[in-house]
Amino acid sequence: MKILIADDSRVMRQIVTRTLRQAGFGDHDLVEAADGRQAYELVTKESPDLVISDWNMPEMTGVEVLRRLRASGNGVKFGFVTSECTPEMQQQAKEAGALFFIIKPFTAERFDEVFSPILG
Amino acid sequence: MSHVQPAGAGTPADAGMPADAGMPADAGMPADADLQEIVGEVWSSYLDPEGLHPLLPADPAKAKFDAMSAVSITGSWHGHVMFACTEKAARNVAAAFLAMDPSEVSDEDVADVLGELANIVGGNVKSMLPNGCFLSLPHVVLSQDTSTHWPGVDRMAVLSGTWQGESVTVSMWKQRDGGTPQ
Repeated sequence: MKILIADDSRVMRQIVTRTLRQAGFGDHDLVEAADGRQAYELVTKESPDLVISDWNMPEMTGVEVLRRLRASGNGVKFGFVTSECTPEMQQQAKEAGALFFIIKPFTAERFDEVFSPILG
Repeated sequence: MSHVQPAGAGTPADAGMPADAGMPADAGMPADADLQEIVGEVWSSYLDPEGLHPLLPADPAKAKFDAMSAVSITGSWHGHVMFACTEKAARNVAAAFLAMDPSEVSDEDVADVLGELANIVGGNVKSMLPNGCFLSLPHVVLSQDTSTHWPGVDRMAVLSGTWQGESVTVSMWKQRDGGTPQ
């Protein structure tokens, strides 16, 4: 499977990549996006099976990317990894069609719990 | 201010640190115990997943730093969340985040990691604040013998400790009403 990691922080993209590996998902193809616009473009170009996205990103926020994808008929599995977590954000994510909401900092156990049902 | 209880793996067993005397009470706002819980999560997730190098409690008044990162919070609440440590601790933090040897860590790595760390702690702090707050981009200072000033703010929560023998402090600063100097 192909996974798109969208985060404007290089460090966080590396940590997400490493944590996926630690959680046993290291064999999947990984693609990275450094802002929201790039994330949207890469979803349409690379057709990933899963998008793991930050919330706050330049150009477009994560939830804006998700809404735009859904508006264009793209149903890619999509969820958030973010350091901010308010009930409003979770509600917005859910309404936009997000599958998961992971709060930074996160552990490999948390990734396993969330991604095992999705990635098998 | 409240006595701080342990928050989980990798956190100090007792960090009964004195808050600044005369600080106005902020009922329901994040305090030392909340910072400790957030920082404990960062330590157990990234800096000490094996439980080998916990952050040991220390007196904030004796904390030293020559590396600092901060995020500002604006909107319905105004203030800063700051991470400060020694240059050696900063390299160790970057090495742990990036799974590298401290000797291979560049200044850019250190700056990126300290910025991300402030962003993670700040994001979690923001989640505890009233609705309508915004988090700034992180600001990082890596410099020795530099004195850093934060005009018009009072410290409302602090967690200070020693990690692998080096000084580390996380603190939260609230803008005074009107932001006017004392």
